Amino acid sequence: MSDIPIKLEGVWKIFGTRAEEAMAAVRSEGLSKNEVLARFGAVIGIADVSFDVHWGEIFCIMGLSGSGKSTLIRHINRLIEPTAGRVEVLGRDVTRLSEPELRAMRSQKIGMVFQHMALLPHRSVRDNVAYPLEIRGAPKGRRWEISQHVLSLVGLDGFEDRFPDEISGGMQQRVGLARALASDPDVLLMDEPFSALDPLIRRQLQDQFKALSEQLHKTTLFITHDLDEAIRLGTRIAIMKDGRIVQIGTPVDIVTNPADDYVRDFVRNISRLKLVFAHAIMEPLTSDSAEKFAQSPRVSQDSDLDHLVDVAITTPHPLVITNAEGKDIGVVSKDRLLRGIQGGK
Amino acid sequence: MPANRTQGATGNAPSIDLTPSITEFVGARAAFYVGRFKLLLAGQNRWRVNWAALIFGPLWAAARGIWAFFWLFAILELVAWVQVGRGIWGDLGADKLAEAARLQAKSDQLMAEAARGDTNAELLVESAGNLARAAENARAASEAGEASTTTYLLVGLLLLGLFKLMEGLWADRVYERQYTRWRVDKRVPSGFNLYRLAGGCALLLLVFSLTLYRFTVSQPDQRIVSVPVPSTYHTHTANLIEDYLDRTARAGAGLFNSIAGGTEAVLNAIEAVFVETSWPVIVIFFLLAAWRLAGGRVAIFTGAALAYMGILGLWEKSMLTLALVSSAAVFCVLMGIPLGVWCARSSRVYAVVRPVLDMMQTMPAFVYLIPIIAFFGTGKVPGILATIAFSMPPVIRLTALGLAQVPKDVVEAARAFGATQWQLMTGVELPLAAPTIMTGVNQTILMCLSMVVIASLIGARGLGQEVLVALQFVAKGQGILAGLAILCCAMVLDRIVQGRFRRGDGA
Repeated sequence: MSDIPIKLEGVWKIFGTRAEEAMAAVRSEGLSKNEVLARFGAVIGIADVSFDVHWGEIFCIMGLSGSGKSTLIRHINRLIEPTAGRVEVLGRDVTRLSEPELRAMRSQKIGMVFQHMALLPHRSVRDNVAYPLEIRGAPKGRRWEISQHVLSLVGLDGFEDRFPDEISGGMQQRVGLARALASDPDVLLMDEPFSALDPLIRRQLQDQFKALSEQLHKTTLFITHDLDEAIRLGTRIAIMKDGRIVQIGTPVDIVTNPADDYVRDFVRNISRLKLVFAHAIMEPLTSDSAEKFAQSPRVSQDSDLDHLVDVAITTPHPLVITNAEGKDIGVVSKDRLLRGIQGGK
Repeated sequence: MPANRTQGATGNAPSIDLTPSITEFVGARAAFYVGRFKLLLAGQNRWRVNWAALIFGPLWAAARGIWAFFWLFAILELVAWVQVGRGIWGDLGADKLAEAARLQAKSDQLMAEAARGDTNAELLVESAGNLARAAENARAASEAGEASTTTYLLVGLLLLGLFKLMEGLWADRVYERQYTRWRVDKRVPSGFNLYRLAGGCALLLLVFSLTLYRFTVSQPDQRIVSVPVPSTYHTHTANLIEDYLDRTARAGAGLFNSIAGGTEAVLNAIEAVFVETSWPVIVIFFLLAAWRLAGGRVAIFTGAALAYMGILGLWEKSMLTLALVSSAAVFCVLMGIPLGVWCARSSRVYAVVRPVLDMMQTMPAFVYLIPIIAFFGTGKVPGILATIAFSMPPVIRLTALGLAQVPKDVVEAARAFGATQWQLMTGVELPLAAPTIMTGVNQTILMCLSMVVIASLIGARGLGQEVLVALQFVAKGQGILAGLAILCCAMVLDRIVQGRFRRGDGA
């Protein structure tokens, strides 16, 4: 097995009949998106995207509609061919696979979940889940066993013999997830799977998916337009804008260190309570001031702001932050705490 | 209370000055139209005469670019002017007078021959008398025609005055409506335009002069009555087509014979099943099929329809018809569905096939018989071939439509799980398109039935032949019985096929 399950290197996608020409011009002259549209009538979908996804992580790609995220995810299983660049999945360059090899990879190694579920309306829930296995030619008994098993993983026992239009949207998407898991793929592609659901169900499915993902240890590429969702689920997040990746980082990185104004704008309304930790906002403690804080409660440097608030409301004194050895290293006043929650104005 | 609030919001709306925009729209004589439009906009709906429109009528409309007004009143005025023209210059009795003179001459000639002592003089005198009476009638008609010229003139003038009045009264309102349209769409004609006026004049001159000439002169030039081309054009072209068809028929005799042979084999087999199976078996089969596929009510209806055919002695003919229709439908489906799939796959193929389908559906059904007779002669096989050609378009069209309507995301999902083209089509696309395809099959079956009578013209047997014979001998009762039997066949097949796919949809 390769070290990196998904690896993209310099991937470009240009739509239009003159895509190749436009690509050459972009390479040699560095044209902008609008110039390419004006000169070649071609639209840049993906511009020079490179990233690695590690084993077992949930890699979120966040962007607004039209940013190219749905186009990007379709390059992983080559539903869309890149104009330039390399797409490596499990150590193999998918752009060079033959048709049968590509089909084998799609049906055995990659599972996909779609925004609008895309279930087959004329098949029962069980037969929908078993569809990837059927394509591989698995015998019916085996198909039924596996679909029963994955349906119980997503909590849909007892719904096997219903039709998709007889169950709720949330359940349908769980069927979609079960279908993607049925062939036990190494890689999961999730294209805005929870966007079409109402907030309560969405939250519920996010939690369920997160637990399942930890349990099954799949490598997941997760597309979303909702930064909250990306932060809740993502091991790392890539922010996309106009086909380019603006920033890649952990949720904490993104929230505390936005790369540019575009990202900062997104992050502004994200609650920092669970993402920022005491050491990030404390004032270093000078040795001579130690006396002043004898009355102060002691809090570990790894506590998040949420916990600091809980402690701060029980005492009139500032909080003293301790390191792993229990030594006092810093102090957080109430003013500082409030500013920290705000995002350090 | 809410009413008061509304008044508060709109009561003191400031007035807007439309003068500049109306002036821009109207062009020449702006001040007049600004006044008129403002009266209309203020809700003063009294009818006011627009003298320019009243006098110049269509020409005023042409200059102002109100083409609907132009055409309407050009045609109405033309009708009036033709009446006036006939009243003034018309030689209304001339035709009859000429006829009277001809008849009289003939009669005189016969009388002269009789006087010379011909052998059958009596007969000659009698027919001479007849001719003289006819001549007298013609003369009387001619005089009546002369007398009616005054009436024509009066009616014409009255109509003309009425139309003129309508033009004058209506013009402002029509023009104001054009202004409202012009405000949102600046391509709507505006202003007073001399080119348009010249165009309108030329059109009116041409149309009026030719029409007045045609209707008022008693012997107009033949070139304006019928298109001046030699009749050989028609015969030559017809001969060319005929030669071509004959040559093709000779050259392709092998192909046509094998098509006919294959079709005949299938038709004979199906006919044997329907006709030679004893009737209780057929009845049981149909009742069971109707009950299982479409439910109890359809089964009862089917029983009644079959009873009608059996009791009124139309059983064998009905079975022949059902055999013909089923084999035509089977061929249509076998060829139409793959063709429809191909059309859905390739937009280029569909671009070629679509105009052909349009032509096949627009062409009058009888025309199908001509090439069929040329290539296959007459008999039941050509009958079924004509039926197939006539009935295939819906199944092709609706198969292509059904496949095009399969949701893109479902197809994408199937591809994402590694489906091959074949798996995609059989497992996803065709099942999802099935209801639409079945609608096509249903329509095809009904079109086959509608072709039954026409196909019997070239020798197809069954109920169609019965109707045809009834038509020839004006046997009304027999014809209606056979027609109702065709209706029964159609409704039974329609109910069973539709019931099939409605149920297939749900379960």
